[in-house]
Amino acid sequence: MISEKLLAVIKKELNLNNDFELKPEMTASQVPGWDSLNHINIIVSIEKEYGIKFKGLEILKAKNIGDLQALVNSKFPA
Amino acid sequence: MPYPIDWTKFRELFEYVPHDPLLFGSSMFIFFFIAVLAVYRFFNGSNSFRVYTLIFFSLFFYYKAAGIYLLLLVFIAIINFYAGAWIFNAKTQRYKRLILTATIIVNLGLLGYFKYTNFFFEILNGLKVGHFDMLDIFLPIGISFYTFKAMSYLIEIYFEMLEPINSLRNFSLFVFFFPNVLMGPIDRAVNFLPQIEEKPVFTKEKIGLAVFLLCTGLFKKYVLADYISLNFTDRVVGFPLRFTGVENLLAVYGSALQGYADFSGYTDMALAIGLLLGFELMDNFNRPFKAYSVAEYWRRWHLSLSTWLLDYLFRPLQISLRNYRKLGTAIAIFITFFVVGIWHGPSFTFILFGLLHSFFLVFSMYTQPYRDEFYDKLKIRNTKWLRVLQIIFTFHLLAFTAILFRAPSLKYAGDMIKQIFTYFHSEVFTQYVVAYPSIVFLIVIGYVSHFLPDSWEKKTVDILGKTPLVFQAIILAVMIWLVAQVRSAQMQPFLYFKF
Repeated sequence: MISEKLLAVIKKELNLNNDFELKPEMTASQVPGWDSLNHINIIVSIEKEYGIKFKGLEILKAKNIGDLQALVNSKFPA
Repeated sequence: MPYPIDWTKFRELFEYVPHDPLLFGSSMFIFFFIAVLAVYRFFNGSNSFRVYTLIFFSLFFYYKAAGIYLLLLVFIAIINFYAGAWIFNAKTQRYKRLILTATIIVNLGLLGYFKYTNFFFEILNGLKVGHFDMLDIFLPIGISFYTFKAMSYLIEIYFEMLEPINSLRNFSLFVFFFPNVLMGPIDRAVNFLPQIEEKPVFTKEKIGLAVFLLCTGLFKKYVLADYISLNFTDRVVGFPLRFTGVENLLAVYGSALQGYADFSGYTDMALAIGLLLGFELMDNFNRPFKAYSVAEYWRRWHLSLSTWLLDYLFRPLQISLRNYRKLGTAIAIFITFFVVGIWHGPSFTFILFGLLHSFFLVFSMYTQPYRDEFYDKLKIRNTKWLRVLQIIFTFHLLAFTAILFRAPSLKYAGDMIKQIFTYFHSEVFTQYVVAYPSIVFLIVIGYVSHFLPDSWEKKTVDILGKTPLVFQAIILAVMIWLVAQVRSAQMQPFLYFKF
Protein backbone atom coordinates (compact mmCIF):
# COMPACT_ATOMS: atom_id res chain seq x y z
CA MET A 1 0.00 0.00 0.00
CA ILE A 2 1.31 3.44 -0.88
CA SER A 3 0.63 6.03 1.81
CA GLU A 4 -1.30 9.20 1.04
CA LYS A 5 1.66 11.23 2.19
CA LEU A 6 4.06 9.64 -0.27
CA LEU A 7 1.53 9.89 -3.11
CA ALA A 8 1.07 13.58 -2.36
CA VAL A 9 4.83 14.23 -2.48
CA ILE A 10 5.24 12.43 -5.82
CA LYS A 11 2.19 14.06 -7.40
CA LYS A 12 3.26 17.50 -6.26
CA GLU A 13 6.77 17.12 -7.69
CA LEU A 14 5.49 15.79 -11.02
CA ASN A 15 2.52 18.20 -11.24
CA LEU A 16 0.25 15.19 -11.62
CA ASN A 17 -3.49 15.35 -11.46
CA ASN A 18 -4.95 14.08 -8.18
CA ASP A 19 -6.94 11.46 -10.11
CA PHE A 20 -3.80 9.90 -11.60
CA GLU A 21 -3.44 6.43 -10.14
CA LEU A 22 0.01 5.45 -8.89
CA LYS A 23 0.44 1.75 -8.20
CA PRO A 24 3.22 0.05 -6.19
CA GLU A 25 4.53 -1.91 -9.18
CA MET A 26 4.85 1.18 -11.38
CA THR A 27 8.36 2.20 -12.41
CA ALA A 28 9.57 5.70 -13.24
CA SER A 29 9.22 5.15 -16.98
CA GLN A 30 5.49 4.40 -16.56
CA VAL A 31 4.75 7.72 -14.87
CA PRO A 32 4.60 10.84 -17.04
CA GLY A 33 7.32 13.35 -16.24
CA TRP A 34 9.31 11.02 -13.97
CA ASP A 35 12.71 11.59 -15.60
CA SER A 36 16.09 11.46 -13.91
CA LEU A 37 15.92 15.11 -12.89
CA ASN A 38 12.48 14.76 -11.31
CA HIS A 39 13.62 11.55 -9.67
CA ILE A 40 16.14 13.59 -7.70
CA ASN A 41 13.49 16.20 -6.85
CA ILE A 42 11.17 13.46 -5.57
CA ILE A 43 13.89 11.88 -3.44
CA VAL A 44 14.92 15.21 -1.92
CA SER A 45 11.27 16.10 -1.23
CA ILE A 46 10.61 12.74 0.46
CA GLU A 47 13.68 13.20 2.65
CA LYS A 48 12.52 16.69 3.58
CA GLU A 49 8.88 15.79 4.15
CA TYR A 50 9.66 12.81 6.37
CA GLY A 51 12.79 14.29 7.96
CA ILE A 52 14.86 11.26 6.95
CA LYS A 53 18.07 10.63 5.03
CA PHE A 54 18.58 7.82 2.51
CA LYS A 55 21.86 6.17 1.64
CA GLY A 56 22.92 6.38 -2.00
CA LEU A 57 22.81 2.61 -2.44
CA GLU A 58 19.29 2.41 -0.97
CA ILE A 59 18.01 4.87 -3.57
CA LEU A 60 19.76 3.05 -6.41
CA LYS A 61 18.17 -0.22 -5.38
CA ALA A 62 14.59 1.10 -5.37
CA LYS A 63 13.09 -0.03 -8.67
CA ASN A 64 9.44 1.00 -8.33
CA ILE A 65 7.05 3.01 -6.17
CA GLY A 66 6.49 0.04 -3.87
CA ASP A 67 10.25 -0.15 -3.19
CA LEU A 68 10.26 3.55 -2.42
CA GLN A 69 7.44 3.09 0.11
CA ALA A 70 9.28 0.15 1.70
CA LEU A 71 12.40 2.29 1.92
CA VAL A 72 10.50 5.06 3.71
CA ASN A 73 8.91 2.51 6.04
CA SER A 74 12.33 1.06 6.88
CA LYS A 75 13.29 4.42 8.36
CA PHE A 76 10.42 4.18 10.88
CA PRO A 77 10.77 0.89 12.76
CA ALA A 78 7.48 -0.19 14.30
CA MET B 1 53.91 -30.91 -60.41
CA PRO B 2 51.82 -30.41 -57.29
CA TYR B 3 51.54 -26.86 -56.03
CA PRO B 4 53.95 -26.54 -53.07
CA ILE B 5 52.37 -25.74 -49.70
CA ASP B 6 53.83 -22.66 -48.06
CA TRP B 7 54.10 -23.91 -44.50
CA THR B 8 55.11 -20.46 -43.18
CA LYS B 9 51.81 -19.08 -44.40
CA PHE B 10 49.98 -22.02 -42.91
CA ARG B 11 51.63 -21.48 -39.53
CA GLU B 12 50.75 -17.81 -39.67
CA LEU B 13 47.09 -18.74 -39.69
CA PHE B 14 47.46 -19.86 -36.10
CA GLU B 15 49.99 -17.29 -34.96
CA TYR B 16 49.66 -13.73 -33.82
CA VAL B 17 50.42 -11.40 -36.70
CA PRO B 18 50.45 -7.72 -35.69
CA HIS B 19 47.56 -5.68 -37.14
CA ASP B 20 45.97 -8.77 -38.62
CA PRO B 21 43.16 -9.89 -36.30
CA LEU B 22 40.43 -12.27 -37.42
CA LEU B 23 37.96 -9.73 -38.78
CA PHE B 24 34.30 -10.71 -38.88
CA GLY B 25 33.46 -11.16 -42.54
CA SER B 26 37.01 -12.16 -43.55
CA SER B 27 37.36 -15.54 -45.23
CA MET B 28 39.64 -16.79 -42.43
CA PHE B 29 37.11 -15.89 -39.79
CA ILE B 30 34.28 -17.53 -41.73
CA PHE B 31 36.38 -20.68 -42.12
CA PHE B 32 37.24 -20.90 -38.41
CA PHE B 33 33.75 -19.95 -37.32
CA ILE B 34 32.06 -22.62 -39.44
CA ALA B 35 34.45 -25.19 -37.96
CA VAL B 36 33.65 -24.02 -34.42
CA LEU B 37 29.93 -23.93 -35.15
CA ALA B 38 30.01 -27.47 -36.52
CA VAL B 39 31.80 -28.82 -33.43
CA TYR B 40 29.57 -26.74 -31.18
CA ARG B 41 26.30 -27.91 -32.69
CA PHE B 42 27.46 -31.50 -32.94
CA PHE B 43 28.13 -31.62 -29.20
CA ASN B 44 25.03 -29.61 -28.35
CA GLY B 45 24.14 -32.11 -25.61
CA SER B 46 27.20 -31.48 -23.47
CA ASN B 47 27.13 -28.09 -21.83
CA SER B 48 30.66 -28.46 -20.57
CA PHE B 49 32.00 -29.28 -24.01
CA ARG B 50 30.20 -26.30 -25.55
CA VAL B 51 31.55 -23.89 -22.94
CA TYR B 52 35.12 -25.15 -23.31
CA THR B 53 34.89 -24.97 -27.11
CA LEU B 54 33.84 -21.34 -26.83
CA ILE B 55 36.51 -20.50 -24.25
CA PHE B 56 39.21 -22.14 -26.34
CA PHE B 57 38.16 -20.43 -29.56
CA SER B 58 37.71 -17.07 -27.79
CA LEU B 59 41.25 -17.29 -26.41
CA PHE B 60 42.58 -18.12 -29.86
CA PHE B 61 40.56 -15.25 -31.37
CA TYR B 62 41.97 -12.79 -28.83
CA TYR B 63 45.48 -14.18 -29.26
CA LYS B 64 45.23 -13.51 -33.00
CA ALA B 65 44.35 -9.90 -32.18
CA ALA B 66 46.68 -9.12 -29.29
CA GLY B 67 49.31 -11.86 -28.99
CA ILE B 68 50.82 -12.27 -25.56
CA TYR B 69 48.42 -9.70 -24.10
CA LEU B 70 46.04 -12.58 -23.97
CA LEU B 71 47.46 -12.96 -20.46
CA LEU B 72 46.05 -9.56 -19.56
CA LEU B 73 42.57 -10.72 -20.56
CA VAL B 74 42.97 -13.83 -18.41
CA PHE B 75 44.24 -11.72 -15.49
CA ILE B 76 41.23 -9.37 -15.73
CA ALA B 77 38.88 -12.36 -15.63
CA ILE B 78 40.58 -13.94 -12.60
CA ILE B 79 40.85 -10.79 -10.50
CA ASN B 80 37.25 -9.71 -11.09
CA PHE B 81 35.93 -13.20 -10.46
CA TYR B 82 37.54 -13.46 -7.02
CA ALA B 83 36.85 -9.84 -6.11
CA GLY B 84 33.15 -10.43 -6.83
CA ALA B 85 33.04 -13.24 -4.26
CA TRP B 86 35.00 -11.15 -1.72
CA ILE B 87 32.59 -8.26 -2.05
CA PHE B 88 29.62 -10.56 -1.59
CA ASN B 89 31.09 -12.29 1.47
CA ALA B 90 32.42 -9.13 3.14
CA LYS B 91 30.76 -8.57 6.51
CA THR B 92 30.44 -4.79 6.51
CA GLN B 93 29.41 -2.27 3.88
CA ARG B 94 32.68 -0.44 4.45
CA TYR B 95 34.70 -3.54 3.64
CA LYS B 96 32.59 -4.22 0.54
CA ARG B 97 33.23 -0.70 -0.68
CA LEU B 98 36.96 -1.05 0.01
CA ILE B 99 37.27 -4.22 -2.09
CA LEU B 100 35.16 -2.69 -4.86
CA THR B 101 37.29 0.47 -4.93
CA ALA B 102 40.56 -1.45 -4.87
CA THR B 103 39.50 -3.75 -7.73
CA ILE B 104 38.21 -0.86 -9.81
CA ILE B 105 41.55 0.88 -9.28
CA VAL B 106 43.35 -2.24 -10.57
CA ASN B 107 41.05 -2.43 -13.63
CA LEU B 108 41.25 1.26 -14.42
CA GLY B 109 44.95 1.33 -13.53
CA LEU B 110 45.69 -1.26 -16.20
CA LEU B 111 43.43 0.48 -18.69
CA GLY B 112 45.07 3.80 -17.81
CA TYR B 113 48.58 2.46 -18.14
CA PHE B 114 48.06 0.95 -21.58
CA LYS B 115 45.89 3.70 -22.94
CA TYR B 116 46.76 6.99 -21.31
CA THR B 117 50.38 6.96 -20.07
CA ASN B 118 51.82 8.73 -23.10
CA PHE B 119 48.94 11.19 -23.23
CA PHE B 120 49.59 12.05 -19.60
CA PHE B 121 53.30 12.52 -20.34
CA GLU B 122 52.41 14.73 -23.28
CA ILE B 123 50.33 16.97 -21.01
CA LEU B 124 53.09 17.11 -18.38
CA ASN B 125 55.66 17.96 -21.07
CA GLY B 126 53.33 20.65 -22.38
CA LEU B 127 52.98 22.12 -18.92
CA LYS B 128 56.78 22.05 -18.64
CA VAL B 129 56.73 20.28 -15.27
CA GLY B 130 59.58 18.11 -16.45
CA HIS B 131 60.49 16.06 -19.46
CA PHE B 132 59.10 12.59 -19.95
CA ASP B 133 60.13 10.40 -22.86
CA MET B 134 57.22 8.65 -24.55
CA LEU B 135 57.04 4.94 -23.80
CA ASP B 136 56.54 2.30 -26.42
CA ILE B 137 53.30 0.87 -25.06
CA PHE B 138 51.23 -1.65 -26.96
CA LEU B 139 47.49 -1.04 -26.73
CA PRO B 140 45.81 -4.41 -26.16
CA ILE B 141 42.85 -4.34 -28.51
CA GLY B 142 39.44 -4.31 -26.82
CA ILE B 143 40.80 -3.45 -23.36
CA SER B 144 38.27 -0.62 -22.88
CA PHE B 145 35.47 -3.01 -23.68
CA TYR B 146 36.39 -6.06 -21.62
CA THR B 147 37.51 -4.21 -18.50
CA PHE B 148 34.15 -2.43 -18.45
CA LYS B 149 32.39 -5.72 -19.03
CA ALA B 150 34.21 -7.38 -16.15
CA MET B 151 33.64 -4.39 -13.84
CA SER B 152 29.88 -4.62 -14.41
CA TYR B 153 30.00 -7.94 -12.53
CA LEU B 154 31.61 -6.34 -9.48
CA ILE B 155 29.34 -3.33 -9.43
CA GLU B 156 26.21 -5.43 -9.81
CA ILE B 157 27.29 -7.57 -6.86
CA TYR B 158 28.00 -4.42 -4.85
CA PHE B 159 24.56 -3.03 -5.78
CA GLU B 160 23.08 -6.40 -4.69
CA MET B 161 21.56 -6.94 -8.14
CA LEU B 162 23.56 -10.12 -8.70
CA GLU B 163 25.03 -12.93 -6.62
CA PRO B 164 28.53 -14.09 -7.53
CA ILE B 165 28.79 -17.32 -9.48
CA ASN B 166 30.92 -20.26 -8.37
CA SER B 167 32.30 -21.13 -11.76
CA LEU B 168 35.49 -19.40 -12.89
CA ARG B 169 34.97 -21.26 -16.17
CA ASN B 170 31.62 -19.56 -16.81
CA PHE B 171 32.90 -16.18 -15.71
CA SER B 172 35.88 -16.55 -18.05
CA LEU B 173 33.54 -17.23 -20.94
CA PHE B 174 31.64 -14.03 -20.08
CA VAL B 175 34.88 -12.00 -20.25
CA PHE B 176 36.51 -13.83 -23.19
CA PHE B 177 33.41 -14.35 -25.39
CA PHE B 178 34.83 -13.67 -28.84
CA PRO B 179 31.84 -11.96 -30.49
CA ASN B 180 32.04 -9.03 -28.05
CA VAL B 181 35.59 -9.10 -26.66
CA LEU B 182 37.14 -6.66 -29.14
CA MET B 183 34.49 -4.03 -29.70
CA GLY B 184 31.51 -4.75 -27.50
CA PRO B 185 28.61 -4.74 -26.90
CA ILE B 186 29.72 -4.32 -23.27
CA ASP B 187 27.36 -7.02 -22.07
CA ARG B 188 26.10 -7.15 -18.50
CA ALA B 189 27.01 -10.09 -16.29
CA VAL B 190 23.41 -10.23 -15.08
CA ASN B 191 22.17 -10.87 -18.66
CA PHE B 192 24.97 -13.06 -19.95
CA LEU B 193 25.88 -15.46 -17.13
CA PRO B 194 22.48 -17.22 -16.85
CA GLN B 195 22.57 -17.98 -20.61
CA ILE B 196 25.70 -20.12 -20.23
CA GLU B 197 23.94 -22.82 -18.21
CA GLU B 198 20.84 -22.86 -20.41
CA LYS B 199 20.69 -25.28 -23.30
CA PRO B 200 20.60 -23.10 -26.42
CA VAL B 201 17.34 -23.09 -28.33
CA PHE B 202 17.60 -22.27 -32.01
CA THR B 203 14.14 -21.12 -33.02
CA LYS B 204 13.23 -20.08 -36.55
CA GLU B 205 12.82 -16.50 -35.34
CA LYS B 206 16.34 -16.44 -33.91
CA ILE B 207 17.88 -17.90 -37.04
CA GLY B 208 15.90 -15.39 -39.14
CA LEU B 209 17.18 -12.56 -36.99
CA ALA B 210 20.75 -13.88 -37.23
CA VAL B 211 20.56 -14.02 -41.04
CA PHE B 212 19.08 -10.51 -41.12
CA LEU B 213 21.80 -9.13 -38.83
CA LEU B 214 24.57 -10.84 -40.80
CA CYS B 215 23.24 -9.25 -44.00
CA THR B 216 22.83 -5.76 -42.50
CA GLY B 217 26.18 -6.04 -40.72
CA LEU B 218 28.07 -7.03 -43.86
CA PHE B 219 26.31 -4.37 -45.90
CA LYS B 220 26.85 -1.57 -43.36
CA LYS B 221 30.49 -2.35 -42.74
CA TYR B 222 31.87 -3.53 -46.06
CA VAL B 223 29.63 -1.72 -48.52
CA LEU B 224 28.61 1.53 -46.83
CA ALA B 225 31.37 2.32 -44.33
CA ASP B 226 34.46 1.05 -46.14
CA TYR B 227 33.48 2.32 -49.57
CA ILE B 228 32.54 5.79 -48.34
CA SER B 229 35.62 6.13 -46.17
CA LEU B 230 38.21 4.86 -48.67
CA ASN B 231 36.82 6.70 -51.65
CA PHE B 232 35.71 9.90 -50.04
CA THR B 233 35.75 10.85 -46.36
CA ASP B 234 39.33 9.73 -45.59
CA ARG B 235 40.63 11.99 -48.33
CA VAL B 236 38.65 15.05 -47.21
CA VAL B 237 39.29 14.54 -43.50
CA GLY B 238 43.00 14.10 -44.20
CA PHE B 239 43.30 17.30 -46.25
CA PRO B 240 40.25 19.51 -45.63
CA LEU B 241 41.91 22.62 -47.12
CA ARG B 242 42.20 20.95 -50.53
CA PHE B 243 38.42 20.72 -50.80
CA THR B 244 35.58 23.21 -51.05
CA GLY B 245 33.02 23.78 -48.31
CA VAL B 246 30.44 21.68 -50.20
CA GLU B 247 32.76 18.69 -50.24
CA ASN B 248 33.65 19.21 -46.59
CA LEU B 249 29.95 19.36 -45.70
CA LEU B 250 29.27 16.18 -47.68
CA ALA B 251 32.21 14.60 -45.86
CA VAL B 252 30.61 15.60 -42.55
CA TYR B 253 27.39 13.80 -43.57
CA GLY B 254 29.38 10.92 -45.02
CA SER B 255 31.52 10.57 -41.89
CA ALA B 256 28.52 10.54 -39.58
CA LEU B 257 26.97 7.74 -41.64
CA GLN B 258 30.26 5.90 -41.97
CA GLY B 259 30.91 6.01 -38.20
CA TYR B 260 27.48 4.59 -37.53
CA ALA B 261 27.65 2.00 -40.32
CA ASP B 262 31.09 0.81 -39.21
CA PHE B 263 30.27 0.39 -35.55
CA SER B 264 26.69 -0.80 -35.85
CA GLY B 265 27.70 -3.09 -38.73
CA TYR B 266 30.22 -4.74 -36.43
CA THR B 267 27.61 -4.96 -33.67
CA ASP B 268 25.06 -6.55 -36.02
CA MET B 269 27.59 -9.23 -36.92
CA ALA B 270 28.52 -9.74 -33.25
CA LEU B 271 24.84 -10.15 -32.31
CA ALA B 272 24.26 -12.55 -35.20
CA ILE B 273 27.28 -14.68 -34.28
CA GLY B 274 26.08 -14.68 -30.66
CA LEU B 275 22.62 -15.85 -31.80
CA LEU B 276 24.09 -18.67 -33.89
CA LEU B 277 25.88 -19.85 -30.74
CA GLY B 278 22.70 -19.55 -28.67
CA PHE B 279 23.51 -16.27 -26.88
CA GLU B 280 21.50 -13.08 -26.92
CA LEU B 281 23.84 -10.14 -26.53
CA MET B 282 22.82 -6.63 -25.56
CA ASP B 283 21.89 -4.42 -28.51
CA ASN B 284 23.96 -1.32 -29.05
CA PHE B 285 22.00 0.82 -31.51
CA ASN B 286 18.48 1.95 -32.18
CA ARG B 287 18.62 4.19 -35.26
CA PRO B 288 20.53 7.01 -33.55
CA PHE B 289 19.89 9.64 -36.21
CA LYS B 290 16.17 9.46 -35.49
CA ALA B 291 16.88 11.18 -32.17
CA TYR B 292 15.07 14.48 -31.61
CA SER B 293 17.43 15.61 -28.86
CA VAL B 294 20.98 14.87 -27.77
CA ALA B 295 19.64 13.13 -24.65
CA GLU B 296 17.50 10.91 -26.90
CA TYR B 297 20.56 10.21 -29.06
CA TRP B 298 22.34 8.71 -26.05
CA ARG B 299 19.39 6.37 -25.61
CA ARG B 300 19.96 5.18 -29.19
CA TRP B 301 23.75 5.20 -29.73
CA HIS B 302 26.30 2.78 -28.22
CA LEU B 303 23.71 1.75 -25.66
CA SER B 304 25.89 -0.76 -23.87
CA LEU B 305 28.37 2.00 -22.98
CA SER B 306 25.80 4.75 -22.34
CA THR B 307 23.65 2.59 -20.05
CA TRP B 308 26.80 1.31 -18.28
CA LEU B 309 27.83 4.87 -17.50
CA LEU B 310 24.26 5.89 -16.72
CA ASP B 311 23.78 3.09 -14.16
CA TYR B 312 27.23 2.95 -12.60
CA LEU B 313 28.51 6.51 -12.82
CA PHE B 314 25.86 9.11 -13.63
CA ARG B 315 23.10 7.90 -11.27
CA PRO B 316 25.35 7.36 -8.23
CA LEU B 317 26.91 10.80 -8.83
CA GLN B 318 23.55 12.44 -9.32
CA ILE B 319 22.22 10.88 -6.12
CA SER B 320 25.22 11.89 -4.04
CA LEU B 321 24.90 15.46 -5.37
CA ARG B 322 21.11 15.49 -4.99
CA ASN B 323 20.95 18.38 -2.54
CA TYR B 324 22.26 20.67 -5.29
CA ARG B 325 19.27 19.61 -7.43
CA LYS B 326 19.75 20.85 -11.03
CA LEU B 327 23.32 21.94 -10.45
CA GLY B 328 24.13 18.49 -9.03
CA THR B 329 22.68 16.86 -12.15
CA ALA B 330 24.66 19.26 -14.34
CA ILE B 331 27.90 18.32 -12.55
CA ALA B 332 27.05 14.62 -12.89
CA ILE B 333 26.42 15.10 -16.64
CA PHE B 334 29.69 16.97 -17.03
CA ILE B 335 31.74 14.28 -15.26
CA THR B 336 29.98 11.43 -17.10
CA PHE B 337 30.59 12.96 -20.50
CA PHE B 338 34.17 13.77 -19.68
CA VAL B 339 34.51 10.02 -19.10
CA VAL B 340 32.64 9.30 -22.37
CA GLY B 341 35.19 11.47 -24.17
CA ILE B 342 38.31 10.10 -22.53
CA TRP B 343 37.02 6.49 -22.77
CA HIS B 344 37.25 6.81 -26.53
CA GLY B 345 40.91 7.60 -26.41
CA PRO B 346 43.82 9.70 -25.24
CA SER B 347 43.19 12.77 -27.32
CA PHE B 348 41.93 16.32 -26.90
CA THR B 349 39.50 15.80 -29.78
CA PHE B 350 37.68 13.13 -27.74
CA ILE B 351 37.71 15.22 -24.57
CA LEU B 352 36.24 18.14 -26.51
CA PHE B 353 33.64 15.76 -27.97
CA GLY B 354 32.56 14.72 -24.47
CA LEU B 355 32.52 18.28 -23.19
CA LEU B 356 30.43 19.51 -26.12
CA HIS B 357 27.87 16.78 -25.52
CA SER B 358 27.72 17.61 -21.81
CA PHE B 359 27.20 21.25 -22.76
CA PHE B 360 24.31 20.33 -25.10
CA LEU B 361 22.66 18.25 -22.38
CA VAL B 362 23.07 20.80 -19.61
CA PHE B 363 21.92 23.63 -21.89
CA SER B 364 18.89 21.56 -22.87
CA MET B 365 18.07 20.79 -19.23
CA TYR B 366 18.17 24.44 -18.14
CA THR B 367 16.26 25.79 -21.14
CA GLN B 368 13.61 23.03 -21.30
CA PRO B 369 10.90 24.90 -19.33
CA TYR B 370 11.37 28.07 -21.42
CA ARG B 371 11.37 26.15 -24.69
CA ASP B 372 8.20 24.31 -23.70
CA GLU B 373 6.57 27.62 -22.83
CA PHE B 374 7.66 29.07 -26.18
CA TYR B 375 6.32 26.04 -28.11
CA ASP B 376 3.04 26.27 -26.20
CA LYS B 377 2.68 29.92 -27.13
CA LEU B 378 3.16 29.07 -30.80
CA LYS B 379 0.93 25.99 -30.33
CA ILE B 380 3.54 23.75 -31.95
CA ARG B 381 4.52 21.60 -28.97
CA ASN B 382 4.39 17.87 -29.79
CA THR B 383 3.54 18.59 -33.43
CA LYS B 384 4.99 16.45 -36.19
CA TRP B 385 6.81 19.18 -38.00
CA LEU B 386 8.45 20.47 -34.81
CA ARG B 387 9.74 16.92 -34.30
CA VAL B 388 11.14 16.90 -37.83
CA LEU B 389 12.92 20.19 -37.23
CA GLN B 390 14.27 18.90 -33.93
CA ILE B 391 15.56 15.74 -35.63
CA ILE B 392 17.30 17.79 -38.36
CA PHE B 393 18.80 20.17 -35.80
CA THR B 394 19.96 17.33 -33.51
CA PHE B 395 21.44 15.49 -36.49
CA HIS B 396 23.57 18.50 -37.38
CA LEU B 397 24.81 18.88 -33.82
CA LEU B 398 25.78 15.20 -33.86
CA ALA B 399 27.32 15.25 -37.33
CA PHE B 400 29.47 18.28 -36.50
CA THR B 401 30.67 16.88 -33.19
CA ALA B 402 31.36 13.58 -34.97
CA ILE B 403 34.05 15.44 -36.95
CA LEU B 404 36.07 15.27 -33.74
CA PHE B 405 35.90 11.49 -34.00
CA ARG B 406 37.41 11.39 -37.43
CA ALA B 407 39.78 14.37 -37.54
CA PRO B 408 43.43 13.58 -36.76
CA SER B 409 43.63 16.67 -34.53
CA LEU B 410 41.66 19.74 -33.48
CA LYS B 411 43.31 21.72 -36.29
CA TYR B 412 41.85 19.43 -38.97
CA ALA B 413 38.39 19.61 -37.40
CA GLY B 414 38.69 23.42 -37.35
CA ASP B 415 39.82 23.46 -40.99
CA MET B 416 36.76 21.47 -42.07
CA ILE B 417 34.42 23.89 -40.35
CA LYS B 418 36.35 26.88 -41.72
CA GLN B 419 36.02 25.56 -45.29
CA ILE B 420 32.28 25.03 -44.87
CA PHE B 421 31.70 28.56 -43.65
CA THR B 422 34.20 30.52 -45.73
CA TYR B 423 34.75 28.58 -48.97
CA PHE B 424 31.44 26.90 -49.65
CA HIS B 425 31.12 27.06 -53.49
CA SER B 426 27.65 25.55 -53.84
CA GLU B 427 28.11 25.16 -57.62
CA VAL B 428 30.55 22.30 -56.93
CA PHE B 429 27.66 20.16 -55.65
CA THR B 430 26.29 19.20 -59.08
CA GLN B 431 29.79 18.55 -60.39
CA TYR B 432 30.41 16.32 -57.41
CA VAL B 433 27.21 14.33 -57.90
CA VAL B 434 28.04 13.81 -61.59
CA ALA B 435 31.65 12.85 -60.87
CA TYR B 436 31.01 10.49 -57.94
CA PRO B 437 27.49 9.09 -58.33
CA SER B 438 28.30 5.85 -56.46
CA ILE B 439 29.35 7.70 -53.29
CA VAL B 440 26.32 9.98 -53.35
CA PHE B 441 24.10 6.96 -54.05
CA LEU B 442 25.51 5.04 -51.07
CA ILE B 443 25.18 8.01 -48.71
CA VAL B 444 21.54 8.47 -49.80
CA ILE B 445 20.82 4.71 -49.46
CA GLY B 446 22.43 4.72 -46.01
CA TYR B 447 20.33 7.58 -44.69
CA VAL B 448 17.07 6.55 -46.37
CA SER B 449 17.31 3.02 -44.94
CA HIS B 450 18.12 4.49 -41.54
CA PHE B 451 14.89 6.49 -41.50
CA LEU B 452 12.58 3.69 -42.70
CA PRO B 453 9.89 2.76 -40.16
CA ASP B 454 11.11 0.37 -37.44
CA SER B 455 8.18 -1.93 -38.21
CA TRP B 456 9.66 -2.72 -41.64
CA GLU B 457 12.70 -4.23 -39.97
CA LYS B 458 10.50 -6.43 -37.79
CA LYS B 459 8.49 -7.59 -40.80
CA THR B 460 11.65 -8.45 -42.75
CA VAL B 461 12.97 -10.48 -39.81
CA ASP B 462 9.62 -12.32 -39.55
CA ILE B 463 9.69 -13.17 -43.26
CA LEU B 464 13.32 -14.32 -43.05
CA GLY B 465 12.46 -16.49 -40.04
CA LYS B 466 9.76 -18.27 -42.09
CA THR B 467 12.04 -18.69 -45.12
CA PRO B 468 13.42 -22.23 -45.60
CA LEU B 469 17.05 -22.72 -44.60
CA VAL B 470 18.19 -23.15 -48.21
CA PHE B 471 16.84 -19.75 -49.17
CA GLN B 472 18.34 -18.15 -46.07
CA ALA B 473 21.71 -19.55 -47.14
CA ILE B 474 21.17 -18.21 -50.68
CA ILE B 475 20.29 -14.75 -49.36
CA LEU B 476 23.40 -14.75 -47.21
CA ALA B 477 25.55 -15.98 -50.10
CA VAL B 478 24.19 -13.20 -52.33
CA MET B 479 25.09 -10.65 -49.66
CA ILE B 480 28.62 -12.07 -49.34
CA TRP B 481 28.94 -11.94 -53.13
CA LEU B 482 27.74 -8.33 -53.17
CA VAL B 483 30.28 -7.44 -50.48
CA ALA B 484 33.04 -9.14 -52.47
CA GLN B 485 32.11 -7.07 -55.53
CA VAL B 486 32.14 -3.73 -53.74
CA ARG B 487 34.83 -4.44 -51.22
CA SER B 488 38.14 -2.70 -51.51
CA ALA B 489 41.26 -4.77 -52.13
CA GLN B 490 42.06 -4.86 -48.44
CA MET B 491 39.59 -4.97 -45.58
CA GLN B 492 39.56 -1.89 -43.44
CA PRO B 493 39.91 -2.33 -39.69
CA PHE B 494 36.85 -1.37 -37.65
CA LEU B 495 36.98 2.22 -36.39
CA TYR B 496 36.21 1.23 -32.82
CA PHE B 497 39.18 -1.17 -32.63
CA LYS B 498 41.34 1.75 -31.55
CA PHE B 499 39.17 2.38 -28.49
